[in-house]
Amino acid sequence: MKPDSTDTSETFPVAPPALLGAGQDEFPEGASEFADEPSRRRFLTLMSASIALATGAGCNLRPASQRKILPYTTQPDEVTPGVPTYYASAAPFAGYGQGVLVRSNEGRPTKIEGNPTHPGSLGGAGLHALASVLDLYDPDRARGVTNRGVATNYELAVAALRKALVEESGQPKNIKLRILTETVTSPTLAGQITALLAAVPNARWTQFEAISSTNAREGITRAFGKPLNVVYDFNKADVVVSLDADFLGTGPGHVRYSRDFADRRKLRHDGKDAAQIAAGREAATREKPFKEGVKADLADTLVNRLYAVETMPTNTGAVADHRLAVTSGEVETFARVLAQKLGVAGVLAAGALSAGAQTWFAAQPNMPDGPLVADLKAEARKGKVIVVAGDHLAPSLHALVMAINDKLGSFGQTVKLIESVEATAAGKMIDLKTLTGELAAKTADALLILGGANPAHTAPADVDFAAALDAFSRDNTKFSLFLGSHQDETGVLCQWLVNEAHYLETWGDIRAYDGTASIQQPLIAPLHGGKSAIELLATVMKSAEPGVPAAPRDPQEIVRETWKKWYEAKNKGATAGAFERFWQTSVRAGVIAGSAPAAATATLVATWSSGAAASPPVPGPDALEVNFRACPSLFDGRFANNGWLQELPKPLTKISWDNAAYMSPATAAKLQLPKTNFKWTGGEHGRAEVSVVELDVNGKKVKAPVWVLPGHADGAVTVHLGHGRARAGTYAATTPDEPNTEGQPYRGFNAYPLRTSAAPWSATAKVTKTGKLYFLACTQGHWSMVEKDPVSGKMMDRKPVRRGTLADYKKNPMFAKLPPMATGETEAINDNMPQPKGYKEHHAHDARLHPLNMYAPAEGLAPGMREFQQRRWAMALDLSACTGCSACVVACQSENNIPIVGKKEVTRGREMYWINIDRYYEGPANDVLALTDPNAVKAYFQPRMCVQCENAPCEIVCPVGATVHSTDGLNDMTYNRCVGTRYCSNNCPYKVRRFNFLTFQGNDWNTDTIKLGRNPDVSVRSRGVMEKCTFCVQRIRYAEIVAERELALGTRKEPDPAKGEVLIKDGEILTACQSACPSGAIVFGDINDPTAAVSRWKNEPSNYGLLAELNTRPRLTHMAVVRNPNPAMK
Amino acid sequence: MPQIFPKALNPIAKMLVLGLPLLAATTGVTGAAFYRSSYATGVGETPSQPVAFSHAHHVGQLGIHCAYCHTTVEKSGFANIPPTKTCMNCHQQIWQGADMLAPVRESYKHDKPIEWNRVHNLPHYAYFNHSIHVAKGVGCVTCHGQLDQQNLTMQSSTLLMEWCIACHRTPEKHLRPQDKIFDMKWDAAQHGTNPKTGKPYTQLELGLELKEKHRVRDAVTLTNCSMCHR
Repeated sequence: MKPDSTDTSETFPVAPPALLGAGQDEFPEGASEFADEPSRRRFLTLMSASIALATGAGCNLRPASQRKILPYTTQPDEVTPGVPTYYASAAPFAGYGQGVLVRSNEGRPTKIEGNPTHPGSLGGAGLHALASVLDLYDPDRARGVTNRGVATNYELAVAALRKALVEESGQPKNIKLRILTETVTSPTLAGQITALLAAVPNARWTQFEAISSTNAREGITRAFGKPLNVVYDFNKADVVVSLDADFLGTGPGHVRYSRDFADRRKLRHDGKDAAQIAAGREAATREKPFKEGVKADLADTLVNRLYAVETMPTNTGAVADHRLAVTSGEVETFARVLAQKLGVAGVLAAGALSAGAQTWFAAQPNMPDGPLVADLKAEARKGKVIVVAGDHLAPSLHALVMAINDKLGSFGQTVKLIESVEATAAGKMIDLKTLTGELAAKTADALLILGGANPAHTAPADVDFAAALDAFSRDNTKFSLFLGSHQDETGVLCQWLVNEAHYLETWGDIRAYDGTASIQQPLIAPLHGGKSAIELLATVMKSAEPGVPAAPRDPQEIVRETWKKWYEAKNKGATAGAFERFWQTSVRAGVIAGSAPAAATATLVATWSSGAAASPPVPGPDALEVNFRACPSLFDGRFANNGWLQELPKPLTKISWDNAAYMSPATAAKLQLPKTNFKWTGGEHGRAEVSVVELDVNGKKVKAPVWVLPGHADGAVTVHLGHGRARAGTYAATTPDEPNTEGQPYRGFNAYPLRTSAAPWSATAKVTKTGKLYFLACTQGHWSMVEKDPVSGKMMDRKPVRRGTLADYKKNPMFAKLPPMATGETEAINDNMPQPKGYKEHHAHDARLHPLNMYAPAEGLAPGMREFQQRRWAMALDLSACTGCSACVVACQSENNIPIVGKKEVTRGREMYWINIDRYYEGPANDVLALTDPNAVKAYFQPRMCVQCENAPCEIVCPVGATVHSTDGLNDMTYNRCVGTRYCSNNCPYKVRRFNFLTFQGNDWNTDTIKLGRNPDVSVRSRGVMEKCTFCVQRIRYAEIVAERELALGTRKEPDPAKGEVLIKDGEILTACQSACPSGAIVFGDINDPTAAVSRWKNEPSNYGLLAELNTRPRLTHMAVVRNPNPAMK
Repeated sequence: MPQIFPKALNPIAKMLVLGLPLLAATTGVTGAAFYRSSYATGVGETPSQPVAFSHAHHVGQLGIHCAYCHTTVEKSGFANIPPTKTCMNCHQQIWQGADMLAPVRESYKHDKPIEWNRVHNLPHYAYFNHSIHVAKGVGCVTCHGQLDQQNLTMQSSTLLMEWCIACHRTPEKHLRPQDKIFDMKWDAAQHGTNPKTGKPYTQLELGLELKEKHRVRDAVTLTNCSMCHR
């Protein structure tokens, strides 16, 4: 293609074809309507009333002496009003913890950040950890203790619990006590439960997770004879084969894995070499971050390669170098073929592979077993390979994968085994099915449900837990108590409901993916007087002895006791003060040093393949397989009332507020489903009309909207669990005029009724067209940068995502700098930045292609800016590292008080996100629906926020000067000046400005509890105001004030600009998105500092400016995607 | 077609030609004047307080340092109102039975904060930071007036944006040495003789020197929107 061509690339469609219709209509849908659709008469009434009110309000000119100011009565030592404090804790997710730092503004937790010292975080944070602060302020949390729905108090609940469990004498009753929890890794809670089980011989413990890793544990037990946890070191892996494992997107270790994996994808001229990679990570701090990326000169050997075999496209598959779409029934066949070709002994017979999979094993010259096997078997790869399988896959496959890893020599190198992190009690565990039977038969005496397990919603369809629990609770001779945060599906069926404290409200401990324990400390007193499971159990125990009458105990004391025992066992003869120091250090750091279990030594047992089906079932050609997976944002439904996660456009699918039945274009065509109808908005406003199908699994029927997803395996449908919850709360409910496909007033449809305990992950289904239609909100088309060439009528390809292979990179490292596109920002970089080490000069561009400019650059923006501008804030974003996980979106929302708007408003294109993550497909056809070969679809992600143009088009059109340039290069947005003309948004080529159309009340404007969680350093915007990414200006100004203050007082050294020194050191300011990013794909800093990461990144040859050909000079530049496909594979 | 207006209205029409612009101008000027008036800005206003706390007594007569109560003024954006405990440090010993101090004792006894009425009200979208102003050499008296002479605290400045901007454009008019921040009676002449002129320092001469010394940034930077609005 010619560099200056505006033709559409035949292989690189930039937007769904439906967008072709955009621009035909002058007004977008909804433009002529008021949100509340008043009648003409009502409109006139409102207008006259608002004029009258405006006059009245305008008279209120005397704000003085109308506000109160309340000091403390006794100010706590650690609180300085106006200065936030950070506390370390760990956010729980399905039983596992992720290290976090929680910001507290005057005692209110307002923001979650990753904990750089925590091995599961390294400073990044996952979606759910970031959003967990909103759960604290959830207006629908249970606000008190209830007994059969009647409000009562905690003391009565405890008395009832004691009466049920403990004799008058203080001895525990020998009753059939049943305890139901989710996964437990908390040493304290596990200790309490174990003690209780020991004291009550007939007690049994059920752990139930809807999204469980039971299969993985079972497989590992088959392979090694005992249940172990597997921990991967992706930083040392040259080749990764993922078998339907979304290790970059979900799971307790995904944040760490993302970081490790991305580190081997970033090409840096000063990156790590092989020896540095082998040495592993050294401890890093905020001041001294990790050395990042791999040395660009050694890219050939150091850039990793990912093969993904999966059904539903995941984030992991999207960033893979090679992706194979197979039905989940075929994954095991694939693995067996792979194992056989690798020479693993004892592999059972494999079935027939599909045509796509066969190409991976097709013999080539010098590669009798095909390119994949050759890549894995290569001598240089020994011990540098990881084969990882999804938790949901069959146990036999997990055992097989262990055998493959063993054969490839990965154990001890890239794959480590540790003792199981999850707590169990040998001989005392029963599964949910048994428990349900006991409840139904009323053979159990008492049931304790701890920690918000919700099997009434999530249990398999053949286990009618809800009915059994209901019958059990109705029996007055029985006792049932639920400890949970909401009056949810399970909670309302129990006799007693005790409201649970959020993890930010109480003491606790929890282990991370690698077993490292953290102390969770409270940041706020329980908002609704909630209690933790530890506290509740302590009321029937004294120390470890159950039964002895116990006064209510401080949970801190209970947690301390656990760790005191642990510490004293480890350090015999330690002084009393030593423990105190250890405790303070551990709480402060958020990590308990030395608490990670040592690597377990285990050898593969010979019988690892026993129990596997002789040959995996091969589905018939007409069978349609339906897969059940956790929703990437709502997980198993526990986050259904979290507005941030509900509205978040799901990574990859970009659907907001709903789930859908995902299927490939070919499958949809086979079912003769009509094309998605975007109406005349062409998808730009996200309102997609899709057909509804009925999924029928053995007579259980569920209606689901269909979303056609290129890259999905043919012959399979994937549905996400976690939606359609009846009792989650306000945010999971809808008004009756927008019901879900089942006609219920819930967000999304509930897929659990299709799931059975025999087939929890995939089942054969009949799919029938219902002829009905349903609206989905999909944000992919929003604010698209694509436009139609008015002359030729073709779509103009702006090449927003520039991508290439490692071979392209080697041929021309500057491949992303397409003249004239790159010239705008390249000129600025050449003029203002030092040469990178090892490079003689910047890449010379053809000066004739420099954009014409009639005017001299604005003062302070001219080349040689360093003298003019003390600081120049800039950002670089490495698209090679981005996995599209959307953590940055939630972090930004949390930091900048961004409202959620609701599904209806999303379909009008009114969502308020300051960061959009665009997903681009690449394939052989321009039409998404014509991408019939799922293996040929590639996906790319591009986070897009305000690029803070140096020549900003928005600034020159603002009639009131509400958006102007600051001397440090920020494109300031002054809300109080904005009158809402929206000219700036019209003139913004990046489409990153958001207009607050309504006050978006009903979401969080008026909700009292949510007000507590807002960031006090950012204005809460009302309607009629334009807003956009500010580069977290509040954090910049805060750091600036600290630095300038110290400079004025002489406590900070005066920087010498001649030596390239700057006042504010690199890493002193982290933007919200940067600090959240699990893979470390974003850096922010001062480009006046040549040593700053941002300067180094911008100097990389793959750096390019988005739409730089418009001469906007973006301060945020992107780095091209460089993938490393196997040259032997097409 | 008959005339709508009788001829007798002609002089009035002529007067209106002059009168209407005058009326418009008067309205504008009146509006602007009203906007800046003490009624609208609250300057000079002394809100009532639950406890009649007198700065004149505590600062002027007793000489208690500002930062004894307003402890965070040098390290935080927010100069704190002292906690009740600070009051009780002294008032446990002296005037411990005074009726005037009953609300303070009540607050301490019941752990309930005293509800003061805010004197200086900035809009929520303006983020003022005390610590940086104090560090760069803006004294308390510059914005808060002669607190050592005020009984109930009075709003001393208009707090209009033009008032903020005036200083951000020419900070030298208000800068003082860092050790004189809390001094209520300081003026530039006390700084001694300017070696350049041989005469006592004027505020402008000293201000320009201090601007350099305290590394106060240039007027363009200091008037960036995001300096105060975020």
